[in-house]
Amino acid sequence: MLFTQAFGLPVITADDATTVGKVADLTVDAHNATVAAVRLSGASDRAGVLAWTAVEAVGPDAVIVRSRVTAEQDQDRLPAHHRALGSRVLTEHGAEHGTVRDIAFDPVSGRVLTLYTALGEITGARLMGLGSYATVVRAEPV
Amino acid sequence: MNTLVLASELSGRVVVTLGGEAVAQIKDVVFDGPAGRITGFTLSGRGLLAGPLKQSLRFSHVHAIGPSAVMIVSQSLFEDRDAVVGRGEAGRGRVLGAPVLTEEGTDIGTVADVVVETGSSGRVVGFEIAANDNLDPEHRKVFVPRGQSLAVSGEALVIPAQAQRFVADDLPSFAAQAEAFLTHMRQR
Repeated sequence: MLFTQAFGLPVITADDATTVGKVADLTVDAHNATVAAVRLSGASDRAGVLAWTAVEAVGPDAVIVRSRVTAEQDQDRLPAHHRALGSRVLTEHGAEHGTVRDIAFDPVSGRVLTLYTALGEITGARLMGLGSYATVVRAEPV
Repeated sequence: MNTLVLASELSGRVVVTLGGEAVAQIKDVVFDGPAGRITGFTLSGRGLLAGPLKQSLRFSHVHAIGPSAVMIVSQSLFEDRDAVVGRGEAGRGRVLGAPVLTEEGTDIGTVADVVVETGSSGRVVGFEIAANDNLDPEHRKVFVPRGQSLAVSGEALVIPAQAQRFVADDLPSFAAQAEAFLTHMRQR
């Protein structure tokens, strides 16, 4: 699944089938190359961020979380959020490699599979860091 | 061989951590003259109005010098400014403008810039020289490879006599010339 496909999906609780908000962005844990959290728009209270561990399923039409209570747990251990889409890409050797246009992720495990840039695809395993200035990727093995 | 870059072009280049944060920019390059490599960098803050930082970056802590950024592992490796500046035998300011003499004692111009390798070596490959009549009647800027031992002080730079035969007009062709010069010196 692509980040752009996930954006805008309603986030619904499994226990009482209420909507807690819509997916506004996904937070990437660059160190582990996984999706760490779902950021919500239109969230009513403090549950503006959901840890990935609270997510039950990401389907084509909705994101299901177990309950409002589990959705509010684990928020302290989340990595800082930096918007991945549109981020400049730098290799560890300091060369620019376009910007991130979209990201493919595994909707079950949350693993980042592929970064799509204007200059080609980069596998998620090469992800080293994501900060406010750039997304840093390992140099391609020669 | 890695791509070459002029030391003056490194000034202003952004310093980025492998975590993707821009933490400073290069202010000046500090050279270790006798060793013929970069000792480190002095730093300034990011942005037009940012002033110099009190911290500096030792070259051994540089992950790579790239065409778009200087990559470091972490900002925590920045050191006190004197740690780098005090160790440099010849600051760039003193190398620039120094007269260039051949081993035979001919003055061929002054140092205009220093050519270094990108990547993680920090090696000085040669010099850009503002040539005088003895080297080029038109006084163009040319690139000259350094000798195996680098003789540079605040007063002068001495290059091997043979280096004159491996001069180049621009950086891309200089990379090949510097390589050819090294091969030539090894064969002697």
